[in-house]
Amino acid sequence: MTGQDMEHAALLAQSVGDYVKHGADLPRVRALAQTHAEFDAAQWRQLAELGWLGVLVPESCGGLGLGLSEAAIVAEGLGRALTPEPYTAVAVLAARALEGAAATSLRDGLLGGIAAGTRVPVVAWQEQPDDFGGRQLATVAVPFEGGFRVSGDKRFVMGAAAADGYVVSALAGGELQLLWIPRDAAGCSTASQPLADGRCYGSVSLSDVVVPREQVLASGKAARDALDRAIDHAAAVGSAELVGIMKRAHEMSLEYMKTRVQFGKPIGSFQALQHRAVDLHIQQELADAVLRETVAELDGGPDTSARARAASRAKSRCAEAALAITRAAIQFHGAIGFTEDCDVGLYAKRAMTVSAWLGNGRAHRARYAALEAGSSGRQA
Amino acid sequence: MSDWNAMSDEDFRREVRTFFENEFPAEYKFLPRRMRWHECRDWYLKLSRKGWIAPNWPREHGGMGLAPTKLLIYYEETERAGVGRMPDQGLTMVGPTLIRFGNDAQRAHFLPKIIAGEAIWCQGYSEPNAGSDLASLRTEAVPDGNDYVINGSKIWTSMAHDATHIYVLARTDKQARKKQEGISFFLVDMKTPGITLRTIRNIAGHEEFCQVFFDNVRTPKENLVGELHKGWTIAKGLLGFERLNIGSPRRPLQAMEKLEMLARARGLMSDPAFVERLTQLQLDLADLGSLYRRFVDKVRRGEALGPDVSMLKVWSMDTYQRLSELLIEAAGEYGAVEGEVAIGNDEIDVLSPFYNSRPGTIYGGSNEIQRNILAKYVLNLPS
Repeated sequence: MTGQDMEHAALLAQSVGDYVKHGADLPRVRALAQTHAEFDAAQWRQLAELGWLGVLVPESCGGLGLGLSEAAIVAEGLGRALTPEPYTAVAVLAARALEGAAATSLRDGLLGGIAAGTRVPVVAWQEQPDDFGGRQLATVAVPFEGGFRVSGDKRFVMGAAAADGYVVSALAGGELQLLWIPRDAAGCSTASQPLADGRCYGSVSLSDVVVPREQVLASGKAARDALDRAIDHAAAVGSAELVGIMKRAHEMSLEYMKTRVQFGKPIGSFQALQHRAVDLHIQQELADAVLRETVAELDGGPDTSARARAASRAKSRCAEAALAITRAAIQFHGAIGFTEDCDVGLYAKRAMTVSAWLGNGRAHRARYAALEAGSSGRQA
Repeated sequence: MSDWNAMSDEDFRREVRTFFENEFPAEYKFLPRRMRWHECRDWYLKLSRKGWIAPNWPREHGGMGLAPTKLLIYYEETERAGVGRMPDQGLTMVGPTLIRFGNDAQRAHFLPKIIAGEAIWCQGYSEPNAGSDLASLRTEAVPDGNDYVINGSKIWTSMAHDATHIYVLARTDKQARKKQEGISFFLVDMKTPGITLRTIRNIAGHEEFCQVFFDNVRTPKENLVGELHKGWTIAKGLLGFERLNIGSPRRPLQAMEKLEMLARARGLMSDPAFVERLTQLQLDLADLGSLYRRFVDKVRRGEALGPDVSMLKVWSMDTYQRLSELLIEAAGEYGAVEGEVAIGNDEIDVLSPFYNSRPGTIYGGSNEIQRNILAKYVLNLPS
């Protein structure tokens, strides 16, 4: 990092700290189950004004041009505050996919719009669960003289609620294409699939959608590289959200254990609970240590196999730790923990959606195993 | 003598690695037990002559004076080369204790003998009724003329049968308000009349620890270290760095290499249930590395290690044990065989990681005690 980068990072950490200090807007988060209003325009504008949406956007496009280490600081803060806006989906996954595309006015405009908060592109790449990089791709792009006609069904599109368009993956012959399809394009329809935490996946149906040539973002190897990198980077930043979620949830458990009295003593004085709390704290610290190493490693631009392995290591640990900690938080709180009124449930449900999206712990372990089997020798 | 700390980490590592690889006797590499004095004496003296016997001591006392980063490299390379653990209590505990809490006369008398391999020390802490609750120890020392007279017994005293000296925590004030406040730290010559010992065979069949009995054992008053009744502070003063070293992923990594070798030889990599468990352990180990490096970075920045370093001991030993257990399971029927067995083209001692990893969750404060420490001092939970 240059001196200026470090200055940016320090300012960022400070502004995230201030944001977190105000705490989570839990009434709003609790109401999501009914409202599904996961995207608040004013809130999004604030994130843009703070500079957070442009952390990864190149400076030439109006962003800060920083790295995942900084994006992770932001995501951890948003995770801690249970902010439902699709930071990782837009400012990481879409920003990285677009960054890997050829510099056109469309691409630069979208990137600049992400940083400014005026455009909300998301990536519609996935069709099957556990499918890293979208290898099971059935969406087709049929060429015609003016571009492609695209048909297919995309699932698990986080952030679709407020998206103004999609970066869509499709096969033209054997060649992967990344295409820009505005939400309101003829033949494009978006349905919502409600999630445990009140947010939604988008299911995007494409039926003979006409994509003019100038909306082709990347083709072939460039498309493959941009998409794979974007997914690994988003998995890593999602891990940072999970670290924020687990830290706050565990704090709540510890606070409760210090104040809740049974048998004439605070329940936190009981060794059975203390040791559980310690073991979960160790999981939290492992997650935090792996996350910091991973984002630093990814910022160094490793080869694809090392990148995938690092991202999977982080997501696997952070997902499982977040689930264990938030579920234990329900148990530590007893019956009250199982009520809608108790905040720990909000953390448990957010942990579930962030864990599941872009590969859960099991899926990332399986990918890590496949990568290990494919590499010769291990690192000392 | 070179200024080791002025060398780059890479150069220093290379030099240490080359020396250990070439000079440590091959027949003792990766010995599945601690080395006895007659086995390691030549190696100890070779290190001593080279000036490398006390990497953690300041140079003025005959040590290498290594900065923390270099010291970690030294220890990592020791483990990497399979250098066995010697009776090292004089080097790891007595030396640093005397340097920090002793007086000039004690330092002048005892330190050179440790460097020269003339004094081999053992640790008299645990007692039959004072294990995890060490502060409840009952071995007592009573002043009498120019001496203290010690009565009681110490147990789990590793390598006492090779030791010429023992350092002892003994109760000197039974009326103290808190049990920690009436304990003192003494140095005792093992040849003193009244000391007897019996060896205790461990679960692996090795005689590594002993029980030491004190029957009116006299030690001169100048062998009291630090202030009277302040021995507990001394005993606690050296633990942080030790826990960092225990938390190094190096030893479990060696067990992992064995496990991967065995799994390949037995064709287990095509068993998805096995691969899932192996991968979990690979990740547990890789993530231990991340946690370890975080504490190492702290040491490198010159920060003191707090009680949170206990989590490293809990996780590393827990991971090491689970690894050793999967190794046995992966070996099938061979998992019951003592010593090396030929599996495929490899010779693997399936049981040694199991035995080596077992005491790690017990000694130096059991994992349960570490969890108590973390609950109290890191999570600030009430007692």
